[in-house]
Amino acid sequence: MFRFTHATLACALVLGLATPVLAAKSAATAAASALSPATFKVERDTLENGLTVLYHEDHSVPAVCFWQWFKVGSRNERQGITGLSHFFEHMMFNGSANVPPKEYDRRLESQGAYSNAFTSRDMTAYYEEGGSASLEAMFELDADRMRALSLLPDMLKSEVEVVREERRFRTDNSVPGLLDEALYTTAFFASPYGWPVVGWMNDLERITRDEMVDYFRTYYAPNNCILIVAGDYDRKTIRERVRKHFGGIPRQTPPPRPVNSEPEQRGERRVEVHYPSETVSFQVGYKAPSVKSPDGYTLQVLSTILSGGESSRLHQALVYTQRIALSARAYYQPGLEPGLFELSVEMAPGKTAAEGEVALYAELDRLAKDGPSERELQKARNQAEASFVQQLKTNNGVGQTLGFYEHVYGDYRKMFTAIDSYRAVTGADCKRVAKEIFDARKRTVAVLVPEAAEGEAK
Amino acid sequence: MRSIRLSGVAFVAAVLFVSASHAAMAPALTRAKLANGLTVIVMPSQRLPLVDFRLVARAGSVQDPEGKGGVAQLTAELLTQGAGKRSAQQLAEDIEFVGGSLSADAGQEQFTVSAELLKKDFALGLELFRDCVVAPTFAAEEFGRKREETLGAIASDKSEPSVIAEEKFASYLWGASPLARPARGTEASVTAITREDVAAFHKRFVAPDRATLVIVGDVDVKATLAAVSKAFAAWKRSGAPLDDPYGAAPAVKGRQVRIIDKPEATQAQIRVGCPGVSRSDPDYYSLQVANTILGAGFTSRLVNSIRVEKGLTYSISSRFGMLRGAGSFRINTFTRNDKLRICVDAVLAEVQKLVDEGPTDAELDKSRNYLTGQYPIGLQAPDDLAGEIANVEFFGLDPMFIQTYNDRVRAVSMADVKRVLKSRFCTQDLKILVVTNGEMAKKALEGLGTIEVKPID
Repeated sequence: MFRFTHATLACALVLGLATPVLAAKSAATAAASALSPATFKVERDTLENGLTVLYHEDHSVPAVCFWQWFKVGSRNERQGITGLSHFFEHMMFNGSANVPPKEYDRRLESQGAYSNAFTSRDMTAYYEEGGSASLEAMFELDADRMRALSLLPDMLKSEVEVVREERRFRTDNSVPGLLDEALYTTAFFASPYGWPVVGWMNDLERITRDEMVDYFRTYYAPNNCILIVAGDYDRKTIRERVRKHFGGIPRQTPPPRPVNSEPEQRGERRVEVHYPSETVSFQVGYKAPSVKSPDGYTLQVLSTILSGGESSRLHQALVYTQRIALSARAYYQPGLEPGLFELSVEMAPGKTAAEGEVALYAELDRLAKDGPSERELQKARNQAEASFVQQLKTNNGVGQTLGFYEHVYGDYRKMFTAIDSYRAVTGADCKRVAKEIFDARKRTVAVLVPEAAEGEAK
Repeated sequence: MRSIRLSGVAFVAAVLFVSASHAAMAPALTRAKLANGLTVIVMPSQRLPLVDFRLVARAGSVQDPEGKGGVAQLTAELLTQGAGKRSAQQLAEDIEFVGGSLSADAGQEQFTVSAELLKKDFALGLELFRDCVVAPTFAAEEFGRKREETLGAIASDKSEPSVIAEEKFASYLWGASPLARPARGTEASVTAITREDVAAFHKRFVAPDRATLVIVGDVDVKATLAAVSKAFAAWKRSGAPLDDPYGAAPAVKGRQVRIIDKPEATQAQIRVGCPGVSRSDPDYYSLQVANTILGAGFTSRLVNSIRVEKGLTYSISSRFGMLRGAGSFRINTFTRNDKLRICVDAVLAEVQKLVDEGPTDAELDKSRNYLTGQYPIGLQAPDDLAGEIANVEFFGLDPMFIQTYNDRVRAVSMADVKRVLKSRFCTQDLKILVVTNGEMAKKALEGLGTIEVKPID
């Protein structure tokens, strides 16, 4: 959920997070020079109040990007306050002790800087990007809102309408949005991944200011945050400047662990969404492990083999050869809780979801039975390496990559060692994990049933 | 500080983004013209081991044959579906095996081919890129498949309110102009396209005398120029006239409203606009500064009023769409159905107020700073920089456009902004397009102007 619709940011996130983040480091290739800790330098500082700060210096453009990753997302919510994390993301721009509403963006933009943010199940991340001289303003504004956010009643009242409009835009009037929501709510009974990040419409109306104040104290504490400064800054003074602005914000009791009581799935679950559409589409989710599982690397290799470009298995089978689908995609990103290995297929006009499911499961079965070829494995590794370099094209991408590894993997240095894990993935691993994960009894299927506008099924 | 270095007659080198307070500078760009008319520009950038190729040609849907809208875009789609000695599958396999990307697209008047690879795969990248541009196969089987996929995408997007709004607004605004046609065509026009149409389009419009090739990345300039010259030497010029086969958008009188009926929608997509200016308009910088005040960033008048104060939308923006020979001004937003009229009235009132009163000095400063602060950031990635360098050529801009952009924005005065606000920002003579439940919308918008309700098709 973004604070604002921007095609460019959406693209950045697709590169950085939505595609499998396959890290790569290879002594044998030119790409390696950009990726080793020796050439891609990152420094870490931990303040007394528990705040983690990562620095990456780059003077190629006189600009800097400042990210703040709060270790809170919709997984930290509960029934009744769903959507609070994302609503909060909006409120972080609406006034703090010394910065009245509207002032945050006005001051940034006056100095040529831009800000945005996103919320997911695991995290809420904010960034500003501007000329090197605007860094001081970023520090002042962000330290002020981390220290004392206002949460003014009037602003809460108008901003919740903006969020509800965002929900109507992304979910209620969007076929992929409706299917995604149906898939997760059906797949999870007792996991905090079950409810939508944007929240239920009724919850958005009833969330109270007290609940938000409570949330702020617990989750927006410095000991629950990672700062990242990437780009053109003065190395001699930077640590001192960050400490000056953020060092005095008091530490809080660490947040409670989210409750996850998800029972084992013992059979396929299906859900229909009726909505007017000319074509049929469906999403499939298989229960998949969290970031803690060593199989995460294998799952990302599998998703690349299945849908990494036009030469991938799903595109070749469903789109190119059988010509029954307009697109077929696989997606797995490790999260803090067990999640889903997702597949989404949009059928060609006149083709049914049943036809698509048969073709899709045949491909998954084939992968589980025979495993990938050696060339497919090598291609997946090469794609991983290239996509990793691509994420570092901008200061923004650098900050996003560091934040993701530091938060989800628990250490940014995992981005350097991940390649060894990918290289260690064998064909036998792929077979074993595919067989285990692509189990029909642990599958959830959300299908769009097209309706005429009047409400009649077509 | 700015510096220009000349090395040989054909090469112009310039230093990008040198701010007075900062020593950071990007290296020089080198320009050459091949015998067949292809302009080649190489910009070394050693920050990452990547290389980006970007070719832009004077070709697009404005050149689609009558009744065959979608030829340009189908041609673009087919470039990567078999070229040189490779089949579609071999092409995809070879580029993806090295983790590279290769794609082509066509808009209204610009045809773009892009590739990005690791530096070590430069030779393979150049070979594949060249083959796609110069020697696409257009195999009958691939043609049939891609045409079918295009028809599928057209059908599928009928449930996407924002896509409907974009296409319907373009056709509303441009009237009988070729610019009114959706670039990917309609069901009827795509069905009418033959393989021969595509091959003929490629031969006539995707040609070296209509194109610029830009290479940005970790490359050696001399070796790159030599390799590119050799690779593209046999590409034949077309000789087709370099014209822009369209005129300005038809003038609008009064406020006109068109509603596209999508009965189940709970949110109304809204577009407001009028004819604008071409990319070569001398007021370019003033228009950017003025438009930023009205509708770009998070502190614009429109965001401040419609989103922050009134909570009517999640997203609102305004912009000037500029082509080589024409342009449009438009505002995009959406709101819940029961706020439709309030939202439209509030948007129009904000524009009127800014046109009547002009911005404050602080707003002018903010707009100039915002544009100059964000411009270099937008060019940090090699593919973005390649795109901007190609645009300078495509639109025939000052060769120093990138280097002087910030100075020119800073030179925009309050008088300039007030003048273009009055002359180019429409408040009375404009078209409004809404996609939502037709019955509801017609009632809500009563009295706003002439109203018509149309089905999605």
